[in-house]
Amino acid sequence: MLKVRGLEVFYGPIRAVRGIDLDIEAGEIIALIGANGAGKTTTVRAIAGLTPYKGSISYDGKTLPPNSAELNLRAGLAMVPEGRGILGRMTVEDNLNMGTYCRKDHAAAARDIAEMFERFPILKERRQSLANLLSGGEQQMLAIARALLSRPRLLLLDEPSLGLAPKTTTAVFELISSLRRDGLTVLLVEQKARQTLKIADRAYLLETGRVVMSGPAQDLANDSLMSQAFLGGATAL
Amino acid sequence: MLLQQLVNGLTLGAVYTLVALSFSLVMGILSVLNIAIGELFMLGGYLGFAIIARGLPLPLAMAVAMLGACVVAVIIQKIAYEPLRDAPLITPMLSTLGFSIILQNVVTNVWGSDPLQLPSEMFDGDFQIGPVRIGVMQIVVIGVTIILVGAVAYLVQRTPAGRALRAIAENRDVARLLGVSVSKTTFLAFAISGLLAGAAGVLISLHYAAITPYIGVDIGLKAIAVMVIGGTTRVWGALLAGPLIGIAEVLTIAYGGSQIRDLVVYGLMILILLLRPQGLLGGARSDVGQRV
Repeated sequence: MLKVRGLEVFYGPIRAVRGIDLDIEAGEIIALIGANGAGKTTTVRAIAGLTPYKGSISYDGKTLPPNSAELNLRAGLAMVPEGRGILGRMTVEDNLNMGTYCRKDHAAAARDIAEMFERFPILKERRQSLANLLSGGEQQMLAIARALLSRPRLLLLDEPSLGLAPKTTTAVFELISSLRRDGLTVLLVEQKARQTLKIADRAYLLETGRVVMSGPAQDLANDSLMSQAFLGGATAL
Repeated sequence: MLLQQLVNGLTLGAVYTLVALSFSLVMGILSVLNIAIGELFMLGGYLGFAIIARGLPLPLAMAVAMLGACVVAVIIQKIAYEPLRDAPLITPMLSTLGFSIILQNVVTNVWGSDPLQLPSEMFDGDFQIGPVRIGVMQIVVIGVTIILVGAVAYLVQRTPAGRALRAIAENRDVARLLGVSVSKTTFLAFAISGLLAGAAGVLISLHYAAITPYIGVDIGLKAIAVMVIGGTTRVWGALLAGPLIGIAEVLTIAYGGSQIRDLVVYGLMILILLLRPQGLLGGARSDVGQRV
């Protein structure tokens, strides 16, 4: 579904991503894990089309031009950025309306918004509230609901658990699992490696802009080096 | 007397509001002050003036002025902004300054540097309501302003295009992730900005029954003051600040003399900024996000 080959991203003279290869197949949850500064967010931003890059990213066999987020969304690739990316001065309802911005099937889009309200009743309850008045967990629900409204086939989630309470984090991970059951493919960028590997099919471990380990999530969770570095030293699963 | 001056001030303030909204729409999307808006306003005034002076109807004058200013605004976007979008903010601002000087020069060459005056019998009817005399011209200025502000408010608040404008103003990356085209939305902001400036130009030429090539500088600076007073993070602050400045200016002329008019207007601006640096309707001081 998505192939990344020799991905390099520069911030001025700094090479933040140094030749990453990734493969994502339809229906998978792929985890991208690593410490701060490993290049996870930069990688996913390049895939989403927010950052110029070198190398190649192809989606369903077609090359995605760099820095073309608007086109990527129409191709079926949506992203929830780090920090949730809600539009805080808009109402919850307007945020959801923005999720259908690129759609032409207005009647179906309205039905999908109604379905999102059914799926996330708290959003329906607070539909006229400004989005920045929602709690962190509610904002994350809103951000994911909004991304889903573009009817993506590949969803990029950048640190969805950032700043959330443990209980809310668990709810977000359960939501991500349910999205996969609905047929969505997910690229999940996370620092919470233990929980991430529990729901992922495969994972890539990044360090200083390079992939240093990859494979089935279960194998990474059981790897001793991985365990020492990211899982607190205990066998993970 | 005071009520009469308030009505006069509201009329002038209506024009300031329109021009301030014109500045704000572009500033909100790009954080760039399009200095040429003052001259778009002046150009709109001349185009409308040319139509009215030929005895053609006011709606036609408004349409031609708005369309003309809109086209020039888009040309400014394509030439003075787009090629410089990745340059430091001061660079496109200076290029719009260059455009404003060119526009002033073109108008001076076409219509001359002397003020043009409308025939005195045009729009000279009035209504007496109690102690206040309201001219037809004043009703036209305030009425057109209300219609245009309402139309812009509807567009910005209720339509997908308006939501896209607000999204880009708040977070450009997120807007792009939602499928919003930055270049199309920028085009829209410049176009609406031109439409408003053109309309305001016609209204001011009606208000003064005269126009000069240099009116854009005077009114443009006041509109920037209105934008700042209203709140640099809230475009709708102009709805409050425009009438406020218009009334302050008219009352100053009536009770203090025109020689201290600008002293009072800009002094008021400095005073408000000292007391509320974020402007009258601005949020917290750290709030530098959405303007639209």
